[in-house]
Amino acid sequence: MIYLDNAATTLKKPDCVVAAVTEALCNMGNSSRGTHDSSLKSARAVFAARSSLAKLFNAPGPEQVVFTQNSTEALNMALCGLFCKGDHVITTALEHNSVLRPLYRLEDEGVISLSVVPADRQGRPDYDAFSRLIRPETRAIVCTHASNLTGNVMDLERVGAIAKSHGLLLVVDASQTAGAYPIDMKRMNISVLCFTGHKGLMGPQGTGGMCLARDVRIRPFKVGGSGVQSYSRAHPAEMPTRLEAGTLNGHGIAGLGAGVDYILEKGVDAIHAYEIALAKHFYEGVRDIPGVTVYGDFTNWNRTAVVTLNIGDYDSGAVSDALWEDFGIATRPGAHCAPLMHHALGTAEQGAVRFSFALFNTLDEADAAIAAVKELAQCD
Amino acid sequence: MAEEINYYILFANYTQGLALQELLKSEGLRARIAPTPRAVQGELSCGMSLLVLPEEIDAVRECIARHNAPHHSIVPLPCQIRPGRGRFC
Repeated sequence: MIYLDNAATTLKKPDCVVAAVTEALCNMGNSSRGTHDSSLKSARAVFAARSSLAKLFNAPGPEQVVFTQNSTEALNMALCGLFCKGDHVITTALEHNSVLRPLYRLEDEGVISLSVVPADRQGRPDYDAFSRLIRPETRAIVCTHASNLTGNVMDLERVGAIAKSHGLLLVVDASQTAGAYPIDMKRMNISVLCFTGHKGLMGPQGTGGMCLARDVRIRPFKVGGSGVQSYSRAHPAEMPTRLEAGTLNGHGIAGLGAGVDYILEKGVDAIHAYEIALAKHFYEGVRDIPGVTVYGDFTNWNRTAVVTLNIGDYDSGAVSDALWEDFGIATRPGAHCAPLMHHALGTAEQGAVRFSFALFNTLDEADAAIAAVKELAQCD
Repeated sequence: MAEEINYYILFANYTQGLALQELLKSEGLRARIAPTPRAVQGELSCGMSLLVLPEEIDAVRECIARHNAPHHSIVPLPCQIRPGRGRFC
């Protein structure tokens, strides 16, 4: 199998991640529950993972790193816990449903009003629209760091500067970039960074979280067991316990921590350079094939290692199915949970086939994918 | 014979405690993780504390103050069990 669906989840993990999860399954007790060795192994693994993530993202400190099941849960906690009735929020056409649906629900419930920054046919956001859409009651900009459909990267320094100059919160969905593209919370003025653990961070599924700037307060989405302050009627107010209730996924977080340490050792810039070289090779091999349409902005390579295309008017599901059945190449067709982006690209009906590369892919695999697209494009 | 005193540093959560243990270790100060004693728990019941050697408590206080390290309080308690015991991480 040639696995090119890394934007959905990275299939191949570093050996250290597998080892860390195995070790955790064999020896780890419950984090923050007791002080015997097994419990402390878990508490230390969780603390180490927080510290590594804070270092990777230049977050204020380990206590500002909160673990969740995935970025969708983190985004729900952030968006439902930040806004009050009457707030206005700005988001973009690049968003995944993990951002759009919580915002739509808040809008439908009459809590917030919502404005959307449009994108052009190459999936590029209209940066001037951010300032244009700001109103007196605007509270936040909520945006992705990179489109999961096109791989286009949002210029977060630019958006962060706009947010800062207007006193707005900046909530970022880093599902597609965490571990695969440089992120600096302080330089980018990010208030809340939501990430998933099983994609670029190369951890297990069921891990994710958010990093909060020091002055950001989110109303807890859930309260309950914490292992501390048991006789207090209220859930602990201190971070990160404030936003974590119940037993953490310690086994998964141990693996996530190992993945982040692996990334810190390799370097995000080096990982991005490798992945983007594969994507570039694939892009250059398919872009001129008659009948092939590639979506996104390829005028520069400040993007993620995603190349999305269609062949003629073929249904994207049929193309992806043929790639799998006839060539053993795993891709993702359809809507990718990004409805506004498809409308902007004009692919709402056809969908699109996404090829996404990661650290354990090779140039030979990219060549095999080029050959497969060529063959499928010659079938009509 | 003088009564032995245990010094417990109390925290709001494990993250604060583990962070301080790491800090103390980096400065060569010993602190063992222990359950928070019931006698001093109050509203901080359950959780972890750091048990510090009496001869190092002043240095620990100074380190905490210098780094403004988050913690709840430092509580002295008479040692009830095996006064000579002490396994520091």
